[in-house]
Amino acid sequence: MMVNIDVNGKEYKKDIEPRMLLVSFLRDELNLTGTHIGCDTSNCGACTVLMDGKSIKSCTVLAVQANNHKITTIESDDPKLDVIKQAYVDENGLQCGFCTPGMIMQTFYILENNENADEEYIKKNLRGNLCRCTGYKSILDSIKKAEEKMKGEISVSK
Amino acid sequence: MDYRNRYVNGKGRYIDDIVFDNMLYMSVYRSQYGRAKISNVTGGLNANDFNAYYKSSSGEMASLGAKDNKNVYLEHVFATDYVNYQGQPIAAVFGKTRYESEDLLNEVKVDYTPLKAISSIDEALNGEPVHTGTENNILASHELGKDFNENDIDYDIALEDEFFNERIVPNPMETRGCIAYYKDNMLYFYVSTQSVQSVKTGLIESLKLKGDSVVVIQADTGGAFGVKGSFYPEYVMAAYASMKYKKPVKWIETRTEHLMAAYPGRGAKAKIKIYAKNNGKITGVKGEVYVDAGAYDAGTGSFASRFIAFQLTGPYNIENAYVKAISLVTNKAPMGPYRGAGRPEAAFFMERMIDLLADKLKMDIADVRLINASEKPFKSPLGLEIKEATRPFLENALKEVNYREVSKKEKAGIAFFVLIPASRPGESARVIINHGKIKVYLGGNVHGQGHEIFVKNILENELKIRRDFITLENGDTTMIEKGVGSWGSRSAIAGGSALLYVAREIKNEVIKKYGEYSPEKLLSGNFDKYKFIEIDYSVNSINFNMITSSMDKNGEITVDKWYSYYDLGNVLSEMNVRAQIIGGAIEGIGQVFSESLRYSEGQLMTQSIADAGILPANHIPEYHIKWIENPSEAPNGAKGLGEAPTIGTPVALVRSIELNTAIRIRKTPIEFNNSILLE
Ligand code: FES
Ligand code: FES
Repeated sequence: MMVNIDVNGKEYKKDIEPRMLLVSFLRDELNLTGTHIGCDTSNCGACTVLMDGKSIKSCTVLAVQANNHKITTIESDDPKLDVIKQAYVDENGLQCGFCTPGMIMQTFYILENNENADEEYIKKNLRGNLCRCTGYKSILDSIKKAEEKMKGEISVSK
Repeated sequence: MDYRNRYVNGKGRYIDDIVFDNMLYMSVYRSQYGRAKISNVTGGLNANDFNAYYKSSSGEMASLGAKDNKNVYLEHVFATDYVNYQGQPIAAVFGKTRYESEDLLNEVKVDYTPLKAISSIDEALNGEPVHTGTENNILASHELGKDFNENDIDYDIALEDEFFNERIVPNPMETRGCIAYYKDNMLYFYVSTQSVQSVKTGLIESLKLKGDSVVVIQADTGGAFGVKGSFYPEYVMAAYASMKYKKPVKWIETRTEHLMAAYPGRGAKAKIKIYAKNNGKITGVKGEVYVDAGAYDAGTGSFASRFIAFQLTGPYNIENAYVKAISLVTNKAPMGPYRGAGRPEAAFFMERMIDLLADKLKMDIADVRLINASEKPFKSPLGLEIKEATRPFLENALKEVNYREVSKKEKAGIAFFVLIPASRPGESARVIINHGKIKVYLGGNVHGQGHEIFVKNILENELKIRRDFITLENGDTTMIEKGVGSWGSRSAIAGGSALLYVAREIKNEVIKKYGEYSPEKLLSGNFDKYKFIEIDYSVNSINFNMITSSMDKNGEITVDKWYSYYDLGNVLSEMNVRAQIIGGAIEGIGQVFSESLRYSEGQLMTQSIADAGILPANHIPEYHIKWIENPSEAPNGAKGLGEAPTIGTPVALVRSIELNTAIRIRKTPIEFNNSILLE
């Protein structure tokens, strides 16, 4: 089946099997291996990407369902994503790094959708993303730091 | 680039990110039964093609002193006549894509006759033997300490209780995986691991290969927590298949396979009896410790019961102690280490008895601990050596966390325990300086603890060089001749000491060559130094935790505050310390509330990683992290850390919870049926 999927601003036309999952499309067809697979029951969030700005688990979406949609992954060079990435480095919001791309994409979604995300809101929206290493505290600190920075930058640009 | 910059940009190179031309994807056909007789297998690669045992004589238990065990309990790479756990490999299939390889699983046909499976320690004790040719399900049995007659010792009160920690599979976010690539008579083996050396030993021993024909290379490793320190049949299959098909072969475990077939830890039960005076002083301990070793002697099962028993009395100086340690065969995946690996179990059993004693004697839980702590170094009757007085430490700890005040207002539980790192037999480090870049290799392989940070601290300190010139490379058996592994809270002690030694050697070489040392001189030259530092002594440390929790009107428990007072020896990186502590604490919290693998009649009831009880982001207590730095006798003065929070957290937390619920807790994860009320 032919699909036409926009990934990080670039269009990819590919002939794929109808059963192919979006995560396999990204990893195996496009070699964008930053999106990870952590489970086979859609519980872990390691595969989180954005589809038209909404966070989805790319292991539960078929590549054909992404046909003519816009996908954003950890490899995107969106400057806002860079702010989040830097906050994760500064706050040591990662250890083994395996959950990290999913966490960062979910963070991106959280902060894009709620300018004043408080701790409760963040925790609630992180429920679908598991991390086995950090105990989540440094992840929470990273998200808060990114949020502050983004606010700072917005008020500067106003 | 700093590893964290790579990871946040999606530039990690985990095992599944590595692709070779013409690579085959391996899928494993696994037993659906807990126990069955196999009469015939067709399809895929199976025991008819390749009939061999697998084992590795190096690994975590080897570094704690375990010896090899008997052949009847070894597992075949592919099951032959019987399967003995759900998930046991029977055959493997190979496709050009992962989808194709999964489809090929349908072509494997197995004729089974299901048999009654042994699903628990009690069933193992009372049921028929799992393995034909054996008389019972005892894989290993030891007696520690000296038996005593209770009439011969001085006591006023005797208390007895039973405890259980359910099995937990480590569940790193990245599952297990490997790529075997056989070319030009060499086996290149890429793997997500804690120890390239133990994988190499395993491949050589299982496939009868020559040492110089095997190279093991570590991919970025996405967490491990013990599960990637073991050696597995899937590695042998992939290597064998690559040699047979002359192609690279990749195997990536699914999470479902991880729950069934990766080696779980915990799974320990104990019956403990203590004898005490009315002032709280314990004069004797008798106990039986059982572990659920799983179906085969492959991971740590045979040694684990003895390791728990050996450290049962912890920081307490108790005159009489006698413990039977028994490892039992069950129809489950072989047991392996999970962060803590026996240490949390031992502390749980002993500390629960101390809390019980305090309640019976109406004493404060801290006071019972104080009276049993020691004024001087001692060796326990079970063989555990404590090189310092533990009572002054406990007094300080109680003060530092403000126990007396906090416990008046809040439901505070405490844990007082020993951490025994697997420091023996030592570790290696290599530093290569070339073109102004510094590459570091350690014999124990980092798997998400951020060793690069402490590596940079050591070299920045010793050699005054800029951090961004330094990288910690992944494990590679061609770069390090001899290495052990990263587990058992040993990396800072053993790896850190080896690196310090090498850094100093290099400094001396610079001085010899140029008459004086400067970082510029160092970076302009070429240096290559390797050293294996031997450590043949234990580096035990004493530690303390306090936890408070509260319960709302629906019975919902919240973990409020988490306190530590740890003795870390010389700290190599504060950032690493905090990360290890908070990451370990949530695993301890998970053990208490939810983490478990549950079986019924040989069938795994735990169906997903969520079902296995891994906590999401809603359990983040307030952390009050304190530590002291009493240098150890290791060359760099470090002590262990990684496992400390997994030891102290369950102990302190269950006490805090039982103060809320008034129901005595004897099991993790906690259960409130069969309640015994707190008096
Ligand atoms: S891979 Fe786990 S939720 Fe998608
Ligand atoms: S950093 Fe390892 S799973 Fe999150």
